[in-house]
Amino acid sequence: MNRSLVILLGALALGAGIFAGSYFTAQRATVMCCAKPADDLGWLQMEFHLGDAEMARIRELHDGYLPKCAEMCAKIAAKKDELAAVLGTSTNLTAEAQTKLNEIAALQAQCQAQMLEHFAAVSQAMPPEQGQRYLAEMKRLTLGTNELMEQSMSDHAGHEHGTN
Amino acid sequence: MNTEDIPLQTLLRQNRPAPALPPRFQQNVWRRIEDAEAPAQPASWLDALANLILRPRFALAAAAVLLLMGVFAGTLEGRQMVRHDAQMNYLASVAPHVLR
Repeated sequence: MNRSLVILLGALALGAGIFAGSYFTAQRATVMCCAKPADDLGWLQMEFHLGDAEMARIRELHDGYLPKCAEMCAKIAAKKDELAAVLGTSTNLTAEAQTKLNEIAALQAQCQAQMLEHFAAVSQAMPPEQGQRYLAEMKRLTLGTNELMEQSMSDHAGHEHGTN
Repeated sequence: MNTEDIPLQTLLRQNRPAPALPPRFQQNVWRRIEDAEAPAQPASWLDALANLILRPRFALAAAAVLLLMGVFAGTLEGRQMVRHDAQMNYLASVAPHVLR
């Protein structure tokens, strides 16, 4: 093989090795040094540059909210179990199953309302500008997921209708 | 050699013909010397590139640039990963149903 080509390929391989090595080392080091997996609120402090006093107030709100959230989740899970039992092996949607579905939807709406109230309370514990940003981000992350799901489902349904 | 021949030698030296140098003689001599000292021109762009790569100064500079770029990109990506993981941790604690 041509000597120059070998040199060029060798240099490219060496360069790629240097770049990849430093890239992965720096990435690992950053993840290891900066990650705080034990603290749920680490993201808030990191993202919204909050002080100790603000964090203390938000931690208080967070600790107060968690049992309520867990209670709602338990209620929803129990209602889903009931629905599964009612549905059993039948292929028809009975009136009782429909009632359970409505109850689940009501509980989920209640849970979502409680969650949004918590987000509002947390946003008020932050400086106004950061609070608005937090609220917008949380709406996008929590409500946006549902919207995306609904959007994808309606797109899918529309596509199917189009093919009929 | 006889010392009596000295006037004769002087006379002979004065009568030796001195041809005129061609124009730009000295410049041409230096150019030829430089051409002879210069490395051979590479045959193709590949050879030229290989020659460039083999220069220690270029190789060191390229390695340093690649190293810095890798560290910079890796740090950015690492920070992005930390941020995303932390965000998911928070979201999982306040809105578990969203992640299901």
